[in-house]
Amino acid sequence: MLEIKNLHASIDGKEILRGINLTVNAGEVHAIMGPNGSGKSTLSNIIAGRDGYDITQGEVIYKGDNLLDMPAEVRAQRGVFLAFQYPVEIPGVSNIYLLKAALNAVRKYQGLDDLDAIDFLTLVRSKLELVQMDEQFLHRGVNEGFSGGEKKRNEILQMALLEPSLAILDETDSGLDIDALKVVSEGVNALRSPERSIVMITHYQRLLDYIVPDYVHVLSNGQIVKSGDKELAKELEAKGYSWIHDTAEGQPI
Amino acid sequence: MKQLTDLVTPFATIAADKQLAGDDLAWLKKLRLQALDQFNRAGLPAKKQEDWKYTSLWALSQQDFIHQANPSDISAAQCDQVALLQDSYRVVIIDGVYSAEHSQLTGLQTGLTISPLSSGLDQVQSYIGQQVDIEKAGLNALNTLLMNEGVVITVDSDTQVLTPIEILVINTGSTNNLAIHLRNIIVLADHSQLTVIEHYIGLAESTSFTNVVSEVVLKENAELNHYKLQQESSNATHIATLAAKQAANSLWRSSNISLGAKLARNDVHTQLLGEQAHVVMDGLYLADSEQHVDFHTRIDHAVPNTSSEELFKGVLNDNSHAVFNGKVIVHKHAQKTDANQQNHNLLLSRGCEIDSKPEMEIYADDVKCAHGSTVGQINEDQLFFLRARGLDEASARNLLTHAFAVDVLDRIPAEQIRNAFSKVIEQHLPHGGS
Repeated sequence: MLEIKNLHASIDGKEILRGINLTVNAGEVHAIMGPNGSGKSTLSNIIAGRDGYDITQGEVIYKGDNLLDMPAEVRAQRGVFLAFQYPVEIPGVSNIYLLKAALNAVRKYQGLDDLDAIDFLTLVRSKLELVQMDEQFLHRGVNEGFSGGEKKRNEILQMALLEPSLAILDETDSGLDIDALKVVSEGVNALRSPERSIVMITHYQRLLDYIVPDYVHVLSNGQIVKSGDKELAKELEAKGYSWIHDTAEGQPI
Repeated sequence: MKQLTDLVTPFATIAADKQLAGDDLAWLKKLRLQALDQFNRAGLPAKKQEDWKYTSLWALSQQDFIHQANPSDISAAQCDQVALLQDSYRVVIIDGVYSAEHSQLTGLQTGLTISPLSSGLDQVQSYIGQQVDIEKAGLNALNTLLMNEGVVITVDSDTQVLTPIEILVINTGSTNNLAIHLRNIIVLADHSQLTVIEHYIGLAESTSFTNVVSEVVLKENAELNHYKLQQESSNATHIATLAAKQAANSLWRSSNISLGAKLARNDVHTQLLGEQAHVVMDGLYLADSEQHVDFHTRIDHAVPNTSSEELFKGVLNDNSHAVFNGKVIVHKHAQKTDANQQNHNLLLSRGCEIDSKPEMEIYADDVKCAHGSTVGQINEDQLFFLRARGLDEASARNLLTHAFAVDVLDRIPAEQIRNAFSKVIEQHLPHGGS
């Protein structure tokens, strides 16, 4: 599904990623953990196609194609989804308009016709249920005046509707209270499937109690310094990120 | 090369030669002579005048205008096609001449009168020139001198008119260099209610000059929803003065949408003369290529306990230039005035220019006044978000531009009109995509 090889990236001459290697197969759930400033968000932004990063070395292969050559919208149309850490508010664009435009963009790439209004609404309603959102959210501006939890649920709603092959969840747990975390996690778990890969980027182990990953990686100073299973996350939680620095500084595995 | 003041002569000749509407009315003749005298003295406004600092009428002054259109007509279907609304009363003016054939004035509600200025002048002596001062602006003097058509609308007290009126001013383009001078008079008696849309549209790329003055009188508790859509051709000069006087408890909702013309200048002015009078003065200008659009607004809070809300938004592209000058004057005894003025601009290119100048003159000491002015570009985070959801860049920019613009429309209560404007704006936006 996704293969990242020796990825180096910098912003304004400052190197943020210093040789990331990561392989994610179909159906797998990976968690990438790391302290602030380790490069987690940079990695997710680069996969989603945000401008402003210099890729100095390495490549990212998605379903056999070079992802880095594609504009952000093409990546999305081909099934790459980024759930944003800070979902942006867009007053004046209704949520339902966004959902429809996004779904139709993906369908167009797949060679499918636009859904008609009734089929679309039926589909959206079933997805709303999954994230326990009220239908009134459809008619508000995108994320406009939403609480932190509502914004994150809205991201998962979009993911559920677009059914991506590869979903990157960037700090989806940040700013969530325990109830909202449960709803969001259940939404994500319902989307786990053998055809779909999920990469969760998180600072805390807490999320991994709800969405149990197959693999856990620790990102530090722009490199993956340790990989393991979910036990690694628990160890990290108990010992803190300094434990990684003390034991594995500069020694990528 | 002609000087600005040279322009007087051809216009004066026209006034002498041309059979103008209401020539048999002594009071009107007198008024026109005053206007001529004033225009002879003042001429067209020049850039040295503060109010015209950023807008030059030099090009206009260099054109020779024709004041009599070639006979021209359009089909009923064409007329329907360009009209903003289908279910409305409609007054149609084609190339400066009232068209009874295309107007829809059957079944007028009791208490409502609509007549073309050319045949209604005898009823409006007490209103003409009451809201605009010909002493101040040369263009108003010119309009007073040459006004030949327009619409006179009156609503009796306690009459709620639910069907909107569209004043559809069509320039067919069949007469190049056509100048038209229109005067609209709208008078709402106590406790009456009305919705009017002034709609100016050019059908072909001819050079033209539209000079319109609309005068509005709102008596106590009257409510007027007053919209304007300007879609003149790209070689047109459109100059408009829109002036109102509001009595106690009256409400004037004005939304002014400027899309067309090479040069568009709008002066919008209201005087809040009775307590609890309220004005919503909104506007939207979209400009591209070499377009120049200028809004000068003025709100006079003349008595205590009046309020105003003003929101103007602009989207500029290419080498276009916009001017917003919004003046709010709170007079000495106008305590408890509540005034809010906002002007927000979205710039889509490096070559465009906005001159935004909010002015508040406050002579009372117990008031609530706020103003804000912003100039920005497309938000990169919003753009990336939409692209990350599969929208191509042009569509995403278009969507964000539309979203920025349309919230001016949110304050239009009638859904039918709001949607019609929204559609026109969508079709007009500078970026392609859907």
